[in-house]
Amino acid sequence: MEKKKIKLPHGIPGYNLSEIEREIPVTEPPAWPVNEELKVVGKRIKRTDALAMVTGTAQYTADVQLPGMLYGRMLRADFPHAKIKSIDTSAAENYPGVFAVHVFDNMIEGANPKDSQQRNYPEVKYAGQAILGVAATSNVIAEEALQLVKVEYEFKDFVADIDDALKENAPVVYATDVDQEGSDGGEEIEQGLKSKGNVRGPSEGSFYGGPRGDPEKGFAEADVIVEGTYRTQVQTHCPMETHGVVVDFDHGDVTVYASTQSTKGVRNDFAEHFNLPKSKVRVICDFMGGGFGAKHGLGNFGVMAGHLSKKSGRPVSLMLDRKEEHVSAGNRPNSIQHMKIGALRDGTLTAMKLVSYGTAGVGLGAGVGHIAQAMYECPNFKSQQYDVFTNAGPGAAFRAPGNVQGAFALEQIVDELSVVLDMDPLKLRDVIDKSTIRKVERIRGAEKFGWKNPKEAGSSNGPVKKGVGLAQAHWPRFVNLDSTVEIRVMRDGAIEVRSAVQDIGTGTKTILAQVVAEELGLKTEDITVMIGDTIFPIGPSSGGSIVTGAITPPARNAAYDVKLKLLDIAAGRLETETENIITENGFFMIKDNPDKKLHYKEVLSRMRTEQLTVTASRSDDYGGFMLGTIGYGELGSVQFVEVSVDTETGFIKVDRVVAAHSCGRPLNIAQIESQVNGGIIQGIAYALYENRIIDKDTGHQVNANLDQYKMPFSFEIPEIGIEMVEDYGARSSTDATGIGEPANIATAAAVANAVYNAIGVRIYELPITPAKVLEALNKVKKNDDE
Amino acid sequence: MKQKEKKTTPPQKGTFSRRGFLKGAGLTAAGTVIASSGVMTLKGQQFPPDKTLGPDVVNIRMKVNGKARQLSIEPRTTLADALRIELQLTGTKIGCDRGSCSACTVWLDGVPTLSCMTLAVEVDEREVTTIEGLATKGKLHALQEAFIEHDASQCGFCTSGMIMSAANLLKENSDPDMEDVKDATRGNFCRCGTHPNVFSATLDAAKKM
Amino acid sequence: MNKFSFYDATSIEEALEKVNSTVSSTIQPGASEQASVLKAGGIDLLDLIKEGLSKPEKIVSIRNIPGMDEVSYDEKKGLSLGANVTLDKIATNARIKEDYLALHQAAEKAATPQIRKMATLGGNLAQRTRCWYFRSMYHDCFRKGSSVCYAQPGENQYHAIVMNEDCASVHSSSLSTALMAFDAAIEITGQGGKVKVISIHDFFVLPSVDRTRESILEANEIITAVIIPSAKGETKSHYIKMGERESNDWPIADVAVVAELNEDKCKKANIVLGAAAPVPFLSEPAMKVVKGKIINEESATAAGKAAMADATPLSQNAYKIPIFETIIKRALLALV
Repeated sequence: MEKKKIKLPHGIPGYNLSEIEREIPVTEPPAWPVNEELKVVGKRIKRTDALAMVTGTAQYTADVQLPGMLYGRMLRADFPHAKIKSIDTSAAENYPGVFAVHVFDNMIEGANPKDSQQRNYPEVKYAGQAILGVAATSNVIAEEALQLVKVEYEFKDFVADIDDALKENAPVVYATDVDQEGSDGGEEIEQGLKSKGNVRGPSEGSFYGGPRGDPEKGFAEADVIVEGTYRTQVQTHCPMETHGVVVDFDHGDVTVYASTQSTKGVRNDFAEHFNLPKSKVRVICDFMGGGFGAKHGLGNFGVMAGHLSKKSGRPVSLMLDRKEEHVSAGNRPNSIQHMKIGALRDGTLTAMKLVSYGTAGVGLGAGVGHIAQAMYECPNFKSQQYDVFTNAGPGAAFRAPGNVQGAFALEQIVDELSVVLDMDPLKLRDVIDKSTIRKVERIRGAEKFGWKNPKEAGSSNGPVKKGVGLAQAHWPRFVNLDSTVEIRVMRDGAIEVRSAVQDIGTGTKTILAQVVAEELGLKTEDITVMIGDTIFPIGPSSGGSIVTGAITPPARNAAYDVKLKLLDIAAGRLETETENIITENGFFMIKDNPDKKLHYKEVLSRMRTEQLTVTASRSDDYGGFMLGTIGYGELGSVQFVEVSVDTETGFIKVDRVVAAHSCGRPLNIAQIESQVNGGIIQGIAYALYENRIIDKDTGHQVNANLDQYKMPFSFEIPEIGIEMVEDYGARSSTDATGIGEPANIATAAAVANAVYNAIGVRIYELPITPAKVLEALNKVKKNDDE
Repeated sequence: MKQKEKKTTPPQKGTFSRRGFLKGAGLTAAGTVIASSGVMTLKGQQFPPDKTLGPDVVNIRMKVNGKARQLSIEPRTTLADALRIELQLTGTKIGCDRGSCSACTVWLDGVPTLSCMTLAVEVDEREVTTIEGLATKGKLHALQEAFIEHDASQCGFCTSGMIMSAANLLKENSDPDMEDVKDATRGNFCRCGTHPNVFSATLDAAKKM
Repeated sequence: MNKFSFYDATSIEEALEKVNSTVSSTIQPGASEQASVLKAGGIDLLDLIKEGLSKPEKIVSIRNIPGMDEVSYDEKKGLSLGANVTLDKIATNARIKEDYLALHQAAEKAATPQIRKMATLGGNLAQRTRCWYFRSMYHDCFRKGSSVCYAQPGENQYHAIVMNEDCASVHSSSLSTALMAFDAAIEITGQGGKVKVISIHDFFVLPSVDRTRESILEANEIITAVIIPSAKGETKSHYIKMGERESNDWPIADVAVVAELNEDKCKKANIVLGAAAPVPFLSEPAMKVVKGKIINEESATAAGKAAMADATPLSQNAYKIPIFETIIKRALLALV
């Protein structure tokens, strides 16, 4: 394609802003200036769909009701490991109100054993695994029918706890080697690794490459060495809307309403499972009540709803209940991370070594990410990451998969190093962190927080001790090229933006409207955004903080193409050349003579045809991708936390958080701040409260509800200050990227570091409960009988 | 269970016409026409003389968002299901179905109430306000305006419950402080972490009311 | 939820005529399929039914019986709270806040605003434990008729640290922690309108006495009121609860202290611990420590230590001991 050279803003305003020349396709629009000079982009813009949410008219999958619709419920195993000897569904099938019963052929979740016999029923691998489903005229009738199903089990030994699963003679979850495909934005899963017992791996590489240098040599060169073992818990996603679908299997054409982060993912899975061409499957997701990584594919419940709808000839709604959501719908795997770090007196890192174990239950993906490998300059590095199988529900991608666990270890060990070196942890990062964006974030964040070299750990007076801590995050900038936008412009003035991309709650509809409005000189209210439907052009999955960087450039490019066509019309009417016309405040006007202008609707009314349609797809990154389709290292963040710790009761309160973040060119400040708030609050939840508790002796989760699975409510919310740093990379026509994942990575480590600073004792395991604080302070006497 | 013989043929599988089926007309838990005994129960059944309601379908009346509504529900039907499935008022959300998240909050005779932990039969002849009824005469409640202004919804699934809790506070306290707002929403769970904006929206709405 | 019929009783007599079972007995193996049970606010009952633990055939509501939701005060008799008084009404009643502070604090800290507006005093006293094994249909535990307590070897971080040898569950009513400290009495109406008044100290039942229930209530009985003796001039009270969350949570530990004071000197004090035992736990060793003493840092600390001296924590809940010691100390110091 023909290329042109243009200059684009590059760098950080107020620090090192300059311009960079890039050679890009001629079809790309001219460079936007920095946000300060834009009208709609980079501002606080109201969500275009907020009205629907505040009036209760927004339709979620759970709200879909179709004529003749049935309700599906699933029978779940009540034992964690068993062979199924027989299933008798006859009484359920004959139960009044029941229209279909379906028994799964095989296990459609978790890892995939090479020996396909293993995968076939009858085999149950965790308590709560779905076995069969019933569709009936109501949920209660379906549940009554399920009670009539007779299942005969042959129980097998099981292991639900990671430490037990690592033991020599532990019951084995999978008898053969297994593999599993990762989901978009999920923790990478290295294919083809061998298992021994319940342990698979190690995985030693990532997209940043494998090990580097010679760690042993690096440790020999070090002046100081810090080592530790850090443990994180299993966290469940707990979206407010549970997983679920409504499947309408009508005349061979299928419509699936899905609470999903990926309309195309559900479409592809459905077409594959039911052997249908993709064109026969339409997936719709209008509003969805949160996903956080776990809602990428069709899921076994979706397969079940498909079979039930096919069998009954009626639409079937199958929404998981809260218990099913906790037990079966995904989780952030736990981790045991042995970490060792070596440094010179001045802080320079010489070596880093990480060995990690984690369990994603019957699934894979328990690695701890690449944050240790990528965030700091360290010439000698090696990591070995192992998956451990247990008889528990499969893990799933969860907001910055792996990296949240990884940051808890890395950012604490760096904090420990600063204590050993007697350095301000902020200054230590200045030495070891080569990222420019994080450097600016440290400067601005520290100022906003009022960071001073922390007082000596545990030195404040009285039983309630204050402490401060900081931690950093790194997240690669992923792009998905399957990102296409269609813009339709109509003579009556309507402008529609269409894409299959869905809105997970981050405001995707609104940023699309902003980008198009900015390009056309309009307001977001002038633009209608229709997304979340696979009949529209393909869009990216809402995972990996991909969406903004993937879908807004084609939206802008399509709008630019539309503008060029409209400029022709306007130029004719205004009797001038197109290059003399600017678009502003809803008008096409002559640059040097703003009185000569046409309202945009008038321009549209002069179109040759009733409707003008333009589509555009994501171009390659300007300047080329840095790694495959990854431009890395550009999404940094630094978070500062202040806590109060009651040393007599062990209770921790997070008082305030200051978060300095970047996401390229920020598009909508209000929505970005909302996501950062959310990342911090989820991070606090992970640091202090959340924990999936499985009873080791029975294999059942005992807190599969929103009552005993602890999460923060209003009084647990700290004061939050957000410092957004604009960071122009000249990477695309919008130069914007996402913020969802980076917002969540650093918080737990920052809280842990602040707790250390408050009480002078470090806590190596999440969640940091009163029990752990009191134990760390030697205030708990162990029972002599134990 | 002890329903006297009042047999009508239940709908046959596979002979069902979608076109003729009205949305929500007796297909649901609440309005089911198929009793578990297989005996069809007709709507309009009179209360038995001994005052026992059910266990099969019974008729109740309630005023919902100012409109008188008749419902046919089983005594086990929750108010949340009755609103969502029978009346298609799906703005009221079910998050946990156990009263732990308050997403299902509605006002029952003006009092914030968990609709998932309330039996619909107990709402007979009473008045319910849901999120759909908060705006009056086409004008949004000041809190709804403030939620839009302050970006107080992310995924939006907790929003209805949050608003019903916070709007109740504004009904009772025209000058709330941060503690009051936190106290009013201390039962409302939000997974997206929208709380800071919920707080600022509520404080702002109070000023504007 | 199983199918059930519903009866809206308008008098206590009518309710008693219709009801034939306690909720607790519906949870036991071999429970009657014709069980008819009482419902007030219904928070606990609906939870048990939704979990499939209780399957009553009929629910008899006492929520609309006239006169059961009144709060009255009589110099001689004391404070009388109808069984249908909501937790919210207790938390917002000015006299309760003035004269029975610990009760006010317990009600104010209980559950969520919505639940406080729905849940009643009678229901709060009669609720079943939140032990997660008891609440799980997958665990056939001691309380549900088997000989196994899953918590003792299992996940017991929220469980009992005293009197936990048969069943390690804790009683979940934090109101009763305060009520016991006030020596409240519970008015129970039986068949034929027969009224008996039981001291709260005799109301709760240990699992070693009867594993199937947590109170003495029988099927043909209704809690109709709770009476708290009138506040004496120098009586002061305080309640502290610690849960994992401040916003709303079950207590990890809670304590109510009611003391007759003469200046800073304690003539007599009741110290009651919640979430420590299968029943609200009156700590006589702690009470003995402060009796006749000036309440200060030293005596308050000693009381906390005394209360915990005989604790028998399980594998994961020894951390409750320093928490109890601290909140007992702080509650006592709050009086002076």
